[in-house]
Amino acid sequence: MKLFTLIFSLFYLITFAATASPIVDKFERFQSLSRLAPLQLDDSSYDELTAKPRDYYAVVILTAMEARFGCALCRDFQPEFDLISRSWNKGSRPDELKLLFGTLDFANGKNTFQRLMLQTAPVLLVFPPTIGPYAKVDDSPLRFDFSGPISADQVYAWLNRQLPDGPKPPLVRPVNYIRIISGATILMGVVTLCTVLSPYVLPIVRNRNLWAAFSLIAILLFTSGHMFNHIRKVPYVVGDGKGGISYFAGGFSNQFGMETQVIAAIYAVLSFSAIALAMKVPRIADTKSQQVAVVIWGVVLFGTYSFLLSVFRVKNGGYPFFLPPF
Amino acid sequence: MAESLVDVLLKGSSGQNTRGLLKVIILVTISAAAVSSRLFSVIRFESIIHEFDPWFNFRATKYLVQNGFYDFWDWFDDRTWHPLGRVTGGTLYPGLMVTSGVIYHILRFLTIPVDIRNICVLLAPGFSGLTALAMYLLTNEMSSSPSAGLLAAAFMGITPGYISRSVAGSYDNEAIAIFLLVFTFFLWIKAVKIGSIMWGALTALFYGYMVSAWGGYVFITNLIPLHVFVLLCMGRYSSRLYISYTTWYALGTLASMQIPFVGFLPIRNSDHMSALGVFGLLQLVAFAEFVRGFIPGKQFQRLLTASIILTAGLAFVGLVVLTMSGVIAPWSGRFYSLWDTGYAKIHIPIIASVSEHQPTAWPSFFFDLNFLIWLFPAGVYMCFRDLKDEHVFVIIYSVLASYFAGVMVRLMLTLTPIVCVAAALVLSYILDTYLKITPGPVTRGNLEVDTSSGLRSARNPEVGITSYFSKAATTSSIIVYLLLFVAHCTWVTSNAYSSPSVVLASRMPDGSQFIIDDYREAYYWLRQNTPANAKIMSWWDYGYQIGGMADRPTLVDNNTWNNTHIATVGKAMSSREEVSYPILRQHDVDYVLVVFGGLLGYSGDDINKFLWMVRIAEGIWPDEVKERDFFTARGEYRVDDQATPTMRNSLMYKMSYHNYNKLFPMGQATDRVRGAKLPAESPQLSTLEEAFTSENWIIRIYKVKDLDNFGRDHSNAVAFDKGNKRKKANKKKGARILRSE
Repeated sequence: MKLFTLIFSLFYLITFAATASPIVDKFERFQSLSRLAPLQLDDSSYDELTAKPRDYYAVVILTAMEARFGCALCRDFQPEFDLISRSWNKGSRPDELKLLFGTLDFANGKNTFQRLMLQTAPVLLVFPPTIGPYAKVDDSPLRFDFSGPISADQVYAWLNRQLPDGPKPPLVRPVNYIRIISGATILMGVVTLCTVLSPYVLPIVRNRNLWAAFSLIAILLFTSGHMFNHIRKVPYVVGDGKGGISYFAGGFSNQFGMETQVIAAIYAVLSFSAIALAMKVPRIADTKSQQVAVVIWGVVLFGTYSFLLSVFRVKNGGYPFFLPPF
Repeated sequence: MAESLVDVLLKGSSGQNTRGLLKVIILVTISAAAVSSRLFSVIRFESIIHEFDPWFNFRATKYLVQNGFYDFWDWFDDRTWHPLGRVTGGTLYPGLMVTSGVIYHILRFLTIPVDIRNICVLLAPGFSGLTALAMYLLTNEMSSSPSAGLLAAAFMGITPGYISRSVAGSYDNEAIAIFLLVFTFFLWIKAVKIGSIMWGALTALFYGYMVSAWGGYVFITNLIPLHVFVLLCMGRYSSRLYISYTTWYALGTLASMQIPFVGFLPIRNSDHMSALGVFGLLQLVAFAEFVRGFIPGKQFQRLLTASIILTAGLAFVGLVVLTMSGVIAPWSGRFYSLWDTGYAKIHIPIIASVSEHQPTAWPSFFFDLNFLIWLFPAGVYMCFRDLKDEHVFVIIYSVLASYFAGVMVRLMLTLTPIVCVAAALVLSYILDTYLKITPGPVTRGNLEVDTSSGLRSARNPEVGITSYFSKAATTSSIIVYLLLFVAHCTWVTSNAYSSPSVVLASRMPDGSQFIIDDYREAYYWLRQNTPANAKIMSWWDYGYQIGGMADRPTLVDNNTWNNTHIATVGKAMSSREEVSYPILRQHDVDYVLVVFGGLLGYSGDDINKFLWMVRIAEGIWPDEVKERDFFTARGEYRVDDQATPTMRNSLMYKMSYHNYNKLFPMGQATDRVRGAKLPAESPQLSTLEEAFTSENWIIRIYKVKDLDNFGRDHSNAVAFDKGNKRKKANKKKGARILRSE
């Protein structure tokens, strides 16, 4: 009986030793594989990384980088995730807090995607440790939901909240030296160019027509709602469901990219007609051609304004005013 | 006979007088039209303060009139932001209240007994009449044509872009600020033209008044230096420029620092640094000009230019270093979000949540400015024709303001004046050309068009319009556009901008008017049925109204100075009752007020604003409130039986839909705003009880229950009252063990 217990306990010891050392090895091994960038996982290494006795946090992003999946969010976020991983691995972090980053692409991990029943990508999972000082009772992975373009700072802040309290390395965005140097070079180049070419450039810079054109284009862009497109990221055009294209968005405070360009063009035509009537026509010396010019510009003005009103009536249902042709 | 009479009236010195008289009559008529077109709401409803912010301004004005100026200056308001309070005297722009206080006292002095409320209601229309006059003066500086100013005044008087913020009852800072803006710009142009210290000082004086009236003064603070800077870059330095700018900057900065709310901002904040920088640059340029007069050597001049550029560069670097080291505060968030348009959405949701801070779609431009919007670029183009100093100002203002108006709906207000100026410039030019009966070119004052450097379209000499048909056709079409403009403005004002939003109006099926007065009903219920110190919690939109109409302390209001406090309210609204109740207790809340539009189809209600509450709360407590939890798995924001558990358990949802299904036959309850069918069972509230629901259910008020007498928690107490069987306190249920003996 005694012998039996002894053997039994010995057996236990052996198994314990056998299981304990691989755990340490596992972290070390993965750690050595990923010095800075996240691990490139596939089905088997994913299983190994997330297998149950683990004394480290595993942060895994499940993503679909290939172009045929058309996951813009995945491709946008991947450099951000690399940045988090690099910041963590480079920075000074508490020794006992072990954290591994991994990337599982759909191309390498179809089975895992199926097993987790994932319909969307990217998905960020955080596996808490099951043994060690930070072990959690509930070892199911935590999930971060992507609801739109997200920066590394937001994810890192979320990650920090999941990790135990304590000092953590700050997120460091690498300084883009190439950009700074190229910027400085371009700046100096421009200055040099300006000095050298000043006899030729100055007349252009001082050209009133050019400045007028710039100002008018800027004003037309802004008053036709370009900033709205820029901020809201509206689609350029949208199909109308019958195979055609609807150029004008329904609703008063909604618009499409192309719609604003149409409107800017309408405003430009109207403005130009007004300018022509004001400044060009009175300078035409010939009576006949002046008469023709007045009629042409007058009709263009009237017709375009009428069209603008009809467009506005589409946008604003109850609008009562119109001009005849449209 | 008649012809000779006209000749007598329009020629010679009596012609001058006739024209002057006509101008006065026309201006008075324009002002009258400007005032009267803003009175729709008074005639339709009554003399009442509108919307949200005006209620605070009204309350502050009453305080000023009752307690005098010095008390007002030191006013600490303990009835808002409970329990923090607000140093109101030091955190508001007092210009508006002081203006109406002064008018009130003047009228009292003249023994005209008038209620302060009526002054407040009618202040905005009155000042819009003055704005039309200021517009006349400003445009007259830009053009030699006498009709341009009158046209601009008329446009400014009735254009909806300005009416939107100045109808009777919208007693807001903008009511007087736009007048001050236009008038300050007029004085500035005058100062630059003449180069006199007096006009510069007057500019500074009105700038100071503007600072005391509206936070938008920063626009002037940056536009005038930019004007000077561009003039310097164009090589147009003159002693006029130097005198007017230095006078304005020195006196104006001192004047602005007298306002407690502004204080030392003009020398410590990046918003104001461009004015300081241009001030320094102007000194350098002036010094260089001075030295240049004495030393002819060409080499030396080059050295001088280089040293000045170097000094300016060093000063700029110094500014940057001071900003980095924190001596100079960075751009304020509200202003910064104009340049970096994505900034507010990520970092300051409270700014992004306000509807008037949204970007502007093109229909709004046309809605607010009608045909002025396409005359505007043409007018700017006209300014390039004889590019004088004041025309440079118009161009800069136009480009900048159209950018700002594109980024934020609210800033349409700053765009409107310059649109009127530009449109009037081009339209008066056309009218002058085509209304001249005798053939030959129009004589335009003392304009000398420099044909060599001018615009391409103005190279040939002007010959005038020869045929009568051209004149008649063009003039009549312009008259059609003008009439259409007037009709448009009247229609827009009447339909879109004249609702007090405190009182709503709708049409019954038979066409009769149906007045919805739930807001006042509820606020007066609070005023009459609750103790004077009962704390009311609501979303911040309604804080000013509760303070103004119900006269009860509130937790948060439209001042939004403390984001954490607002987030606390957001958390209480979006959490479960067990979480919310301690928050309510800790903040001494007695009543909770929610706005619910489901019965009437009123879309501006709290459920629609709810996501902003969640977002703002999430900004402070990201672990406890999560926006994601309020969306279904498919990413929809729903309120029906598909709604997420978090949504259904949130205090806001429960308060909105509590007992709502009793209005409908079994299982028929629908929410008319979101078009959703509601679950058959009403949400159960245990820590609050319904106290009041207004006639159309727009406002619902709940009383926060006191602690239970027997020390039970509220859900147990409610369950006991209902006669439910007491649940066993979570008894551990282990796995069943099979026993075998």
